[in-house]
Amino acid sequence: MNPEEKIRISFRLNGREVEAHVLPGETALHLLRERLGLRGVKEGCGIGECGACTIVVDKKAVNSCLMLAAQLHGCEVLTVEGLESPVGLHPLQEAFLEHDAIQCGYCTPGMLLSAYALIISRGVPTREEIVRALAGNLCRCTGYHQIVDAVQDAARRMAGKEEGRW
Amino acid sequence: MEWIGRSIPRIGAQTRARGKALFGGDVPLEGPLILKLLRSPRPHARILSINTERAMKNDGVEAIFTAKDIPGRNLIGLITKDQPLLAHDKVRFVGEPVALVAARDEESAIRGVEEVEVVYEDLPAIFTPDEALDPGAVPIHEKGNLLHRRVVVKGDVEDALSRAHLVVERTYSTPFLEHACLEPDAGWGYVDKDGTLVIVASTQNPHYDQREVAELLGVEKERVRVIQAATGGGFGSKLDLTVQGFIGLALYHLRRPVKLTLSREEVFLATPKRHAMKIWMRTAARRDGRLLALEAKIICDTGAYSSYGVAVATRAAVHATGPYEIENVRVESLAVYTNNPIAGAMRGFGVPQVAFAHESQMDILAESLGIDPLEIRRINAMRPESVTATGQVLGESVGLLEALDAVEPHYREAMEEWKKGPRRPYTARGVGLGAMWYGIGNTGVRNPSTVKVQLDERGRVVLYIGAADMGQGSTTVLVQMASETLGISPEEMEVVIADTGLTPDAGASSASRQTYISGNALVRACRKLSETLLEEASRLMGLPRGELVLRGGNVVSKEKPERRVSLAELAALAKERGVSLEFEGHFDPETTPLDPSTGQGIPYATYSFACQMAQVEVDLLTGQVEVRRIVAAHDVGKAINPKGVVGQIRGGVAMGVGFALMEEFLPGSTRSFKDYHIPTAADMPEVIPIIVESSEPTGPFGAKGVGEPALIPTAPAILNAIADALGERIYALPATLERVCEASIRAGWPKMGKGGGPR
Repeated sequence: MNPEEKIRISFRLNGREVEAHVLPGETALHLLRERLGLRGVKEGCGIGECGACTIVVDKKAVNSCLMLAAQLHGCEVLTVEGLESPVGLHPLQEAFLEHDAIQCGYCTPGMLLSAYALIISRGVPTREEIVRALAGNLCRCTGYHQIVDAVQDAARRMAGKEEGRW
Repeated sequence: MEWIGRSIPRIGAQTRARGKALFGGDVPLEGPLILKLLRSPRPHARILSINTERAMKNDGVEAIFTAKDIPGRNLIGLITKDQPLLAHDKVRFVGEPVALVAARDEESAIRGVEEVEVVYEDLPAIFTPDEALDPGAVPIHEKGNLLHRRVVVKGDVEDALSRAHLVVERTYSTPFLEHACLEPDAGWGYVDKDGTLVIVASTQNPHYDQREVAELLGVEKERVRVIQAATGGGFGSKLDLTVQGFIGLALYHLRRPVKLTLSREEVFLATPKRHAMKIWMRTAARRDGRLLALEAKIICDTGAYSSYGVAVATRAAVHATGPYEIENVRVESLAVYTNNPIAGAMRGFGVPQVAFAHESQMDILAESLGIDPLEIRRINAMRPESVTATGQVLGESVGLLEALDAVEPHYREAMEEWKKGPRRPYTARGVGLGAMWYGIGNTGVRNPSTVKVQLDERGRVVLYIGAADMGQGSTTVLVQMASETLGISPEEMEVVIADTGLTPDAGASSASRQTYISGNALVRACRKLSETLLEEASRLMGLPRGELVLRGGNVVSKEKPERRVSLAELAALAKERGVSLEFEGHFDPETTPLDPSTGQGIPYATYSFACQMAQVEVDLLTGQVEVRRIVAAHDVGKAINPKGVVGQIRGGVAMGVGFALMEEFLPGSTRSFKDYHIPTAADMPEVIPIIVESSEPTGPFGAKGVGEPALIPTAPAILNAIADALGERIYALPATLERVCEASIRAGWPKMGKGGGPR
């Protein structure tokens, strides 16, 4: 494959069909953040160690810095921008605010999406499951406790309400 | 009180929850030029030549700047100006910036950086303070390799040693640490319509940035405006210039929008670290546990440039006694240049390092004297009117005994029940304490803050606060103080934060100082406004001033609450009468400089105190330490926002767990999160935060500070708990698997055949 030749892909992004021409080596992070302008997708390390760039692809949380943009073809993609709805914040976002789970906020989008993927696959997870699911998302400010509380709380509120999205 | 002591939601959190906050890398400009730095691959070398010709031939490369393009003073530094923005005659550490490339796209910028040709001539590189202090050592700076020597002496140490029942002498070491903010340093810039160079960056220190960039460029300070972007954590690393100077330089020459985002690797290599320290300590005590003398020699590896090195060495010396009253003290603290990365401020300014030493000493003394570790701390604890090592007589807000009392029931339960409870084979349980004190604000130097408040023509209160909020929550607590003083809710106010074009200088968001110092400045400003409003309302309403109060956006009569006048009416009236409704409040804590030869003086106006307890389980075969629980009692004076205080405590404990068990920056090899591990959600123990409120009479509503104190006792408590579990002590941080195993073997564990491990 010619590394300079662009590939045409289409995928659903936050509920909307999008089309893009991507280079074979381009990361999903680069496409979403730099070219599609989704600034909520954060880069923290670029090598899959910090989780700041986490997005949800076909119900799974992935590090968008480690995924190729071309791999998004045909997928359903969710970023933090797609969490809220016209009527308001997503229960996860509300729970993060209520539990003071946000300090600097740089890890927040990734945390929200890792939590989201966990909840849609596990329903109301246990504390241990939450901790395990978030262990790939680094936070330097909060000490994590408030985040785990928020996820647990949100999971209860979300119970069964996210099916429509997928 | 209506707004003080209430956990109102953190201001700015909603934007962050939505992913809409603009951090330093989230540039809202069209097509900015991309900036990239060429950094030195050598730790110590003379620069013989720099050739940019080939690099400039790249199509997308617009400009390349080197030291000769800096129009003003090519020297920066928070305290000592010893660091060039771009190296000119030599480089002093791996990662030092040598040239700045501006290009139309990322690829061209990278190619430009790769093709700048620099010829170096290596010089002997020095990686330890010991080598650096050798009389024959190559001088890293012209003035030599000793940046600073701070001495604190009081009483007669020799005499005390001769009288002592027990003298404990040990040496401790701590490594360089990386702040590991989740946001890599970043910013952008543009030239305003009136020609002002506007720099928007993640920073803890916008007014310093402005002064420094103006000096670099040789322009009036007013020609440079620094605005804090949403900042993804600071912890001290964003006090120095990181991207601001380069953005300023490019703007100066190119007059076009630019952006600079450091890669994680650059953050590891080139932003300041926590000082690595070697601490020799000798502590003398009477048979009853009373401390008689403390001697310490502290060697701080300050790396290639000074940053906050002087402040760190000084603060370490001042705090070396720990939160204990000791009559005879002799401390010497040196900050030494090496060719390691720059060491600067990191949460605690040297106090976390010395706390590891003094708290280990306390436990060794306790054990040798047969005194309970909590009791020996209580016997020696500072209390109101205690005299510190610098000769300062403490005021009434000294909440250490209360913190010890608050921890005690947990401690007793842990010692008597949990420790003896059932456990897995080949594991051992231990319980440890760590106590600390921390002076609020800079050490014995002026560190003022000014805050402005205005009632605008619409009757809206606008606060102009220069204090950068990096996530710690300063904006929220300051707004709560304004609400309390002016009787209006936070939602009814507008707040302008950390913009040198609009806000007065509040000083750096460092040294846990903004609640206390900017809080006082803000309350003063708000009181001036409220006084004026009450006077104006008294005139208008024909009621005595003493009968009026500010409440709910009105001036109200206390006697007849139906008689009221709104702020909007008062604003209109004031405008008519030509009365200004804009006020500044100023506060500079009362301190005195430390005497250069004795270190005597009043370095801080007030101190925070804390005690934490750790419960750990040590795997005797693998060396793995699991921290089960931390109980953290912190005297903060007054918790303006209790949830915020708890957030600081939990975050501080997490950083303390990293400091204790896993974090170590090795110059020359640490480059990423692959080789630098910080605690994840799975590494966190249960944390029980306890807020102690020993009101500070000079504090706003009694408040002091908690940002740095939150971290300081954690590692000492964990290391004491490990020692308690093993019966053997570790003197070097972090307590890695290897070090724990080694200590375990030294202690004679695992004792095969016994099945259950020790005790």
